[in-house]
Amino acid sequence: MSQHVLRRLITGVFNVQRSETYRSALRVGSCVKINKRCRSDEVKGSESCQEFDVSILEFLVCPLSKKQLRYDENSNELINEEFGIAYPIIDGIPNMIPQDARMIQKTETSKNPSES
Amino acid sequence: MAASVKTLALRTLCASTRNIQHVSRGRVKHSCCPAWVTVRRGYSDGTEGKNTHFGFETVPEEEKAERVYKVFESVAEKYDVMNDAMSLGIHRLWKDTLLHVMNPQPGLRLLDTAGGTGDISFRFLEYTRSMHERQQRQKARSSQTPSWRDIADNYASNQTDLPQSRAVVCDINKEMLKVGKQRAEKAGISTGLSWVVGDAEELPFDDDQFDIYTIAFGIRNVTHIEQALQEAVRVLKPGGRFLCLEFSKVSNPVLARLYDAYSFQMIPVLGEVIAGDWKSYQYLVESIRKFPDQETFKEMIEDAGLFCVKYFNLTGGVVSIHSGFKL
Repeated sequence: MSQHVLRRLITGVFNVQRSETYRSALRVGSCVKINKRCRSDEVKGSESCQEFDVSILEFLVCPLSKKQLRYDENSNELINEEFGIAYPIIDGIPNMIPQDARMIQKTETSKNPSES
Repeated sequence: MAASVKTLALRTLCASTRNIQHVSRGRVKHSCCPAWVTVRRGYSDGTEGKNTHFGFETVPEEEKAERVYKVFESVAEKYDVMNDAMSLGIHRLWKDTLLHVMNPQPGLRLLDTAGGTGDISFRFLEYTRSMHERQQRQKARSSQTPSWRDIADNYASNQTDLPQSRAVVCDINKEMLKVGKQRAEKAGISTGLSWVVGDAEELPFDDDQFDIYTIAFGIRNVTHIEQALQEAVRVLKPGGRFLCLEFSKVSNPVLARLYDAYSFQMIPVLGEVIAGDWKSYQYLVESIRKFPDQETFKEMIEDAGLFCVKYFNLTGGVVSIHSGFKL
């Protein structure tokens, strides 16, 4: 009886550890991080993280060029094609500060433009 | 008397420690500026040497935004609690008065700049919702013995009218918006409310988009107030209204003495006890003193291109509401 209980305890601990390593592996990509939250927040439903309201794109523009933006669902960003910059959306709130935008380079590396 | 000595001591202490940081931070920033970016902000070369005020301190302009950001990042969690404690709950009355002055009709679009935790936006949505209900009731009362068909038509029109009022909360600080969003979720307000991280000097919105632009207790933290005003004029629709709720100069000398004593002695202490942050609240009370008075600010608003500019003093001038129209 006690052996059975002990066995259940140990396997339970291993399961927790396994799921934690799985989660830490997921934490690598920022967009993937948002998806992870979707999976864990099953109570609220997947809507709470991809809550970005597309209707504000009617009047939301790039602060630098004042041109319309394109919403990219895969990377959860707002993209200005002309300048090649992408504004991140975190927790459904778009971040329209140019310093926090990511440059979409022709090469694979991305760096942050700083403006002052 | 004691207040001025204390602030002087604090000022000299802080100035000596911060000067070193100014120089090093300034050098790092200039070195990492790609060429294409400086074309857009050509004027920055001319203003590189310019200073501005951060409370009673003088800091380079580039630094002010960063430091203001840090202040609000650290106070975000306790912001609402502190507002209640510092103003003894009177800030709620000030904000309610702003809404009454605004008197928004249902179906308008509001831009709440420096909206932070969303106080003005929540009140706006609440106000338009109750006004809409009142109008519906009046309509129902005025139509005598409506037929079933009329009642059915009323129900149909209800659904289309209600979601039209729209409030967009824009703030430069993510932490404040996060706190605001949590509050909205707790209060169950979801439709008609949007959150955007943006700079008041460079709004990420198209021209002629908003019926009402408000900035409550935020404009004194902006580095270039004239630019924020010009952006406000840009995003307002023709006929749109600009409203600014801000701390201002108290005209009555007795009240002014009491107010100064309260500001410099009580508020930083409250900040330390409740939020654990003396310096941020010291900055807040100093920034109030640095802000131009009612008449000067009215002229600044007129210079930006707004008309029929008026101001209303509340609580003897502690707070004033400036209003202007884009015509």
